[in-house]
Parts: sequence; C-alpha cells; structure tokens
Amino acid sequence: MAEPTGRINRRNLLLTAGAGLSSLAIGSATTPAIAAAPAFLRQEQTLRIAFEGTAVDPLDQQLADGFKEQFPDANIEFIPIQGTDWNEYFAKVLTMIASGTAPDIMSVATEGTQLFASQGLSTPLDDYVKRDQAELEEYFADVHPSLVEAMMYEGSLYQLPRDFNAANMYINTTLFEEHGIDYPATDWDKDTFYQIARTLTAENGGPPFGYGWTNRLWGSWMPWIFVNDSNLLTEERAPGGEWLWDAFYADADDTVQRGGGWRWEAPQANAPANVEALEFVVQMAQEGITPSVSEGGGDLLQGFFTSNSLGMTPAGGFWAGGLNEAGMTPDAFDVQYFPKWKSQRHQFGTAGYVILESSQAKDLAWEFLKYVVSKPAMELSFGGNFSTPVRRSMLTAEQYSPTGPQHWEVFYGTLDEHPETAPIPAPPQANEMTSIFMRYTGLALTFSQSPQEALDSMQAELEELFAQEG
Amino acid sequence: MAQTTHSPSAPAARSGPIGWITENSLAGMARRRALLGYLFILPSLLGVLVFTAGPVIASFGLSLYQWNIIDPPTFIGLDNYERLANDTRVLQSFVTTGQFVVLAVSLQLVVSLLLAMGVQSLKQTGLRYVFRTAYFLPLLTSAASISIVLAYMFHQDFGVINYYLGKVGVARIPWLNSSTWAMLAIVLTYVWQQIGFTFIVFLGGLSGISRDVLEAADLDGATGWRRFWDITLPMLSPTLLFAAVIAVIGALQVFAEPFVMTNGGPGDATRTVVMMIYESAFSFLQIGYGSAIAVLLFVVILLVTALQFRLSNKWVFYQ
Repeated sequence: MAEPTGRINRRNLLLTAGAGLSSLAIGSATTPAIAAAPAFLRQEQTLRIAFEGTAVDPLDQQLADGFKEQFPDANIEFIPIQGTDWNEYFAKVLTMIASGTAPDIMSVATEGTQLFASQGLSTPLDDYVKRDQAELEEYFADVHPSLVEAMMYEGSLYQLPRDFNAANMYINTTLFEEHGIDYPATDWDKDTFYQIARTLTAENGGPPFGYGWTNRLWGSWMPWIFVNDSNLLTEERAPGGEWLWDAFYADADDTVQRGGGWRWEAPQANAPANVEALEFVVQMAQEGITPSVSEGGGDLLQGFFTSNSLGMTPAGGFWAGGLNEAGMTPDAFDVQYFPKWKSQRHQFGTAGYVILESSQAKDLAWEFLKYVVSKPAMELSFGGNFSTPVRRSMLTAEQYSPTGPQHWEVFYGTLDEHPETAPIPAPPQANEMTSIFMRYTGLALTFSQSPQEALDSMQAELEELFAQEG
Repeated sequence: MAQTTHSPSAPAARSGPIGWITENSLAGMARRRALLGYLFILPSLLGVLVFTAGPVIASFGLSLYQWNIIDPPTFIGLDNYERLANDTRVLQSFVTTGQFVVLAVSLQLVVSLLLAMGVQSLKQTGLRYVFRTAYFLPLLTSAASISIVLAYMFHQDFGVINYYLGKVGVARIPWLNSSTWAMLAIVLTYVWQQIGFTFIVFLGGLSGISRDVLEAADLDGATGWRRFWDITLPMLSPTLLFAAVIAVIGALQVFAEPFVMTNGGPGDATRTVVMMIYESAFSFLQIGYGSAIAVLLFVVILLVTALQFRLSNKWVFYQ
C-alpha cells in the first residue's frame, strides 16, 4: 500500500504560526504608544483615581460620596496599586499609561512629582488655579509655601498638596523613662542624641536599640545629610512661579525667596559632609546602637518601636496614627525636632493628586482636586492621624489627643521654625537615583565598603546616570 | 465513444482545500485524522503561542529598540547588546545567578533524593502518604509569601533563627546583611520551597526500578552504599537527568526569593539576572535593554540545557 502523502506538516504549521506572531510583534513594536481608551468606551463623567495601597478604604468611599453630592453625574472609581514603596507604585502606573488604561488622577508624592511633570504626563494646574483664585485663597492661606513650592516644576504647579511628613525624631518614652532621660530640648544636638542612643542600647548591643532607620530615600540617613547642611544633589530654585506667590503669599510672613520649584541637577554624593553623615550612622551600626537596616516602608521598624525594642527613629506625622493603631498609648511615644548638627535643616516629603495629561475629564478632575483639599474633606481623610495634613489649622491638641504625640506642634513647627527645611531630592530620574542610593547605603551598612568607598562609587554611578539623562 | 465510469456510491470530487481534506483516499483520511488531532490541541497550542512563544518572539524584537513605554519605540539595532557586553552589573548578575544555581540545584537534588529514598523505604503506607504530602506542600505555596516569612525569621537581630542559635552559643549571623550569608539564606529558602517537585520525581523514579533487579543485587552481595552507587543510581539516571534539567532551568530564573528577602543586596551580592531584567524594564523603563538581557538569559539557558543533554551520554543509562 502506498504511504499516505500530503499530510498537514507539523513543522510548517508551527513555522507559519511563528512567522505570523513575529510580524504581529514587530508591527506592534513600531506603532506609536497606545493612546488612552476612546471616550465613547468609558462611562461619561467617570473619574479613575489611582493611589498606592492594597484596598479602597471606607473613608475614600465617603470622600467619593461627598463629591457626588456636589456632582451627582460623577462616578468615582478608586484603583489601589500595590508597591513596596513609591518607586514601584510609579512604575506600575507608568505601565498602565503605556497600555492605554491610564487613570484620570493619581496620588503622587515628592518622589514622583518631577518624574511625571518632566515627561509631560501630568497636567499643569496654573490656568485652573488662576481661574479659581478666589475659591482657593482660603486653602493657600492655610498651607505653608514650602509645601506648595515642592509641588512645582519649572514655574508651574502640578499638585495641590494634601499631606506632608518631615523627618522628625520619634522617641519611645517608655525606654526614656526607664533610663531616666528627659524629653530633649528643641535645639538638642548630634552629640546629645548619640549619648542618649548609646544609653538606650543594651550592653553588648541591642535589643533594645537606641536608634534605627529604614533604607529608602525619605528618612534613612538623609536627615543626617540635611542637618549637616548638605544634600545628595546640588539644589537650586527654578525661575518663575511669581503668578502663584504674588496671588496667594504676597502678604505672608515668608522669609524665603520662593521660585518655580526645585532643580536637582548634579550629584554630590561624596561631598565631605555626606561622607561624615554616613560615617556617623555606620559607626552607630558597628557599635550595635542600630539594628540591621532593611529596605521598605518602615513596617518592621514600627514593630520594633511598638515592642519597646527601639528607642528613637526618624519618622513623620504618619507614625502617630500607625503607632496608636499598633497599640501604643498617646503617652508611650513623643516627637522632637531632628538633632542639630551644622544646622537643623529638616527634610520632608509631600503628596497630592495629579491630573494625568491623558485624562478625558480634566475639568471634573480639577473639581475633585479642589474638593479633596477642602477642609471638610481633609478632616474626613486625616482624622486618624495617618499622615500630617498640609492645613495648619488642622493640627490642634484636640486632633492629636486620641493618638499622640504630646508635642504634635513639632510637625508644623518644622516648617515654621526651620524655614530652610526642604523636600528630599527628587529629580525626574528619582527612580534610578533611589536605586543607586539604596544599593550603596546597603553596602556601607553591611560594612562591605567603607563610607568613603560607597559614596565614591555612588557618585560615579549618579554622574553616569545624570550624563545619560542630560 | 469512451465513457467515464464512476462508482455509483462515490460522491463527486470537490476541488480546493475542502476537497483536499474530504478526499476519499488513504491520504485524505490521514489528513482528516491529523486535522482532528490539531484541533484537539489547538487551545493549548494557542495558549503557548500567545502567552509563551509570542512574548519570547516579542522580546527578540523589542531588544532591537529603545523604548521607555511613554514615547514611541526607536529602532537602535544591536546597541542594547553592545551596552550589555560592557555592563559589569549585568554580567556580574549572570555570575551571581550561576553561583546560586550550583548551590541550590546541588542541595535540592541531594536532599530530595535522600528524602525520596527515605519515604520509599517506609513500610507503612499511611506514613508514606503523610511524609509525601509534607514534603510536597511547600511547592504549593507562594514563593513571595514564604520569602516574606523567612526574611523575618532570618533577621539578624529579631529573627527566630538567630534566637535559637543564640541559645546554643552561636553568635548572631548576619543572614541577610552579609554578601556570603545572604546567598545562603536565599538558597535555603528556595530549596525548601522547590524540593517537593524533585522529591516527587525521584519518588516516581525509584518506584520504577524493578524489584527483581534489586533482589538480584542483594543476592549477589551488593548492599547499602554499593547497591545505591552501582545499581540504584544508574537505573535512576534518566530521572536524575530530567530533575537536574528542570531544576537548573528554574534556578536560572530565580526572582521572588532574592527580590523579597534582600532586594538583590547587600549591594548586588544577590542580584540575579531576572532581577536585572525587572529593574531595567519596569523600574527604569528601559524595555529594550531589559528585553536584551532576557534574550541573553534565554541563550544561556539553551546552552546550559544542551550541555546537560550532551554530557548525559556519559552517565545516563537507558534500559
């Protein structure tokens, strides 16, 4: 019997399929970035709001309901996006933008303000602010100009700040009392701090530890750089911004010459003051005053603090509610300004919502932005003290009595008493910069490299990064 | 006049593809059987093409472009590969991954084989089921979840492992804060989670060894280590090859454990190739460069697997 012929050839079938897919892949790679979904596919008057988190909080839903009372045709869809820290959250949102599923509004902290603004992904709010100047006067009068300036980029405003956190020093009052240490003075210095940290640390190394921190951009050993009158990058103020300062802060008692936002243009990682700061924190680690430093948002550190295994740590107002929720009574912890070194210049971060340039509902998004910074909306959002509201009028004894700390006035006092306080360095290349910063910080803290070696290597990589981007 | 004869029962022949398929001949029947077979596997085939082969081919294409997902991609030819050749961090990540593979796969194969032999030797069936389940269970859990838990357990100052080591007089080990110990901690975590797979494979392999052969070996005086080395292991060699190939491919792509436990640190001490791909593509938005690294990893896996099969001629015995 003759062999059957003309069978469908498996090799040809697979080759044909592969060729087809190749054409598809190469063809799709050459097409322009996919635009946002056409408006007719989306429900009208729907605002998609992305934020860093794992789930929608009931408070957010109340916020949405309050907005709908003013705008009954508006639908609010919250999109929680999980990330170990801000850089991961930003990367995920950028992927959403590229895939055509961009939200209308997203929560952005200092770490991402210039990242989105420089790429033209976020909408400048200047025209909206000028149009609604009368309505916003009350808001700006209640917000420190440093926080507003941090949300500006090259003369334009991109966010209305809602909350901020400066790196103050949190104190475990239980450990302080056990060792007979008084609450430190407002102008306590680095040496006094070191003695206290040494005293709080168990003999032969903790636990308990005198001082701890998390390896990330905000907090970490950045506060020591700032109080040593230095910065990771050179800093200067961009020109412009007069339209805002003249409109809202002309009569303000502000001694600082404001501009159009910050420019961080060149790395100076291995400046002597920075090496000195890193040597100080490495010394504390070598002496057992500081536990092994891990990365992340600080949840582990909070656990050590609440279990009285840690005496002091840099943190902001966001810790007040968190510590209380973890079981600490209002008098079990307190806060003071960061210790003085060459100065007492603090570092802070702030956050607000941006309107994405791809949004088809910008006008409605602007109304939402104004709504969430209104006093009633902010009182709803920040009732639990899980962050520090930018509205000065909201920081009261009554606000902090349920959670602590006793010296809550330190939060806003950081801006008033130390006007040289500035935002953490967060240029458009903040993601890569943070990665380099954390990597070499880790090498120094594990004693794999000396502080000088680590910062020399950090400087070299940062220079390469800024040269590529420039 | 010549007459064309037709079988009274045969339908008229049709032309074109339909005719080709419905042709009433042995060839036609073979085509119909082949088509039916392909139709059955079409869902799986589509899945592999769309979700596996498709992205792999797309990666090859993307590696020739510079693309930050915000602006349109720009064709740059082999520039990404040129950059890769000079990128010491990426090349170091291949070395780090290689070290991880050697440690993890060796430990995984040895331990899982010992466990399989132990379970195989159990007389009670119930006990066998219990241990089989216990050793396989970690494989069913999420690598990320396990890594989070073990990161806490390995914590230098507050972890339970150092706590109990301290009780027996061992000083605190900087598990995740030392270049050497961090790699070991990640290897232990990975092996604990993956051991179930090779354990089950070896269990199956051991069950497949003929009892007659083993009894004959006993009669000839080959017992204990001698029996294992000269009889069991050679007969298990095809299974060992399969387990080794799969284990090496998996280990070369390790991500969850180093990402969660150390984020590649201290420095780059535990930064694997897949972490570099993730960092380039999703943290730094260099999709083209990340794809180039992925292509290189693909080539490395291909070469390593080919080498394993090549070397298997010397030590694998097929009955």
